[in-house]
Amino acid sequence: MTRVLLSLWSGLIGLFCVTLVQSSDLPISSVSISRPAAVDPILLHTLQAHYTMLAKQLTQLMPTQPYILVDTARNHLYVKRKDQVLLDALASTGSGTILDKPGDSKGQWIFDTPRGEFTVQSRLTHPVWVKPDWAFIEEGLKVPKSPADRLEPGVLGEYALGFGKGYFIHGTLYTRLLGKNVTHGCVRLNDDDLKSVYRLAKVGTPIMIF
Amino acid sequence: MMFLCATLSILLSLASVSWAVEPDVIPLLDSTNPAMLQEATRVLEEEIKLAARPQTYMLIDLAANAILIKGRGVELHRSPIESWSASDLSQLATLYRLRERPPVNRRKIDPAAGAEQDPISLADMPTTFTLQFSPPLTILVLSSTVGNPWQWTLQRGQLWWRRLASWGNILRTGDTSPSPPSLDLTVASDHAQSLAWTVTEGMPVLIRRPTLP
Repeated sequence: MTRVLLSLWSGLIGLFCVTLVQSSDLPISSVSISRPAAVDPILLHTLQAHYTMLAKQLTQLMPTQPYILVDTARNHLYVKRKDQVLLDALASTGSGTILDKPGDSKGQWIFDTPRGEFTVQSRLTHPVWVKPDWAFIEEGLKVPKSPADRLEPGVLGEYALGFGKGYFIHGTLYTRLLGKNVTHGCVRLNDDDLKSVYRLAKVGTPIMIF
Repeated sequence: MMFLCATLSILLSLASVSWAVEPDVIPLLDSTNPAMLQEATRVLEEEIKLAARPQTYMLIDLAANAILIKGRGVELHRSPIESWSASDLSQLATLYRLRERPPVNRRKIDPAAGAEQDPISLADMPTTFTLQFSPPLTILVLSSTVGNPWQWTLQRGQLWWRRLASWGNILRTGDTSPSPPSLDLTVASDHAQSLAWTVTEGMPVLIRRPTLP
């Protein structure tokens, strides 16, 4: 009786495991795509030539001039030319926090630094911050009606590089927070690094953010 | 006899599930291997289209065991893959787009609170998560469990539970049509968090498959 039960049990387990492995949606470990036994030299030459041509084509799409790279996870900004790092700067990027829009039950501001590829659209010296609505709401203040009440000089540093939709690379008074995700989406740098980026970047310089 | 068969079946199934490619076993590109050249060419053709547009994209290079974030053909970030397994490699030869980012518990700013409030950081990102793509593809990102037997047990449990659920579904519905492809990637926990942070909705993803050396 015991042997029969044991056989039945082991058979069930075996069937279960075989079914699991054979089932089409199960992760069968890394099976590679196969390689043909014999290699046709003409085919191989054609493939090699095509691959080389495509690799060259891809290389031609890479920026030849300096470009800005922002790592939002590690809060670093780099200026690179091909593989050469021209500047490695500690930065502050978006906090990822959210703020409800008053009077709009579904509206929210999300303070993320946008990811993707952008270009430098403007280069400003002595920028003045035009405080948006969220800056007042976040502090529990009333949003002013007069545009003049929104102006705040001296908080963005000596330079600012705009990359669209109100986002800038600019300076900060809060240098102790560099290296942390604390901004409302802009990229903050210390004065020296900001000056270097300003010198290296032109209007049209690519900014890649990830 | 039946007991022996069952034991062998168990051992075989466990071996096939836990085996994974070791990094650097397969050369990055053997230009004398037509299959590898064809695969690299296929990926390059797709990548050129992606690199021609102002965007970032992801290349999961199973041949080089790395997850690359790229833009304009430039490698922006590289995360090494410790191990991987796929349901069916032949199905992974297409361009995928991420349907949504992994869920992140964002903190809400309270204007009444006054004092500085904690932002989210890389440490808030999940270390194990699933990414869903269109056309259908599921990528399960797992963090490395080296030196952490409890996490290893937990992960194995999760994997087996997923498989059991899938098997149960087949038994229940009788639907044996092929499921969408899936890919499991194991990376270091900080790289898993970095990936969760970096991916964006609609991000294009290419997969380069390995070839036998």
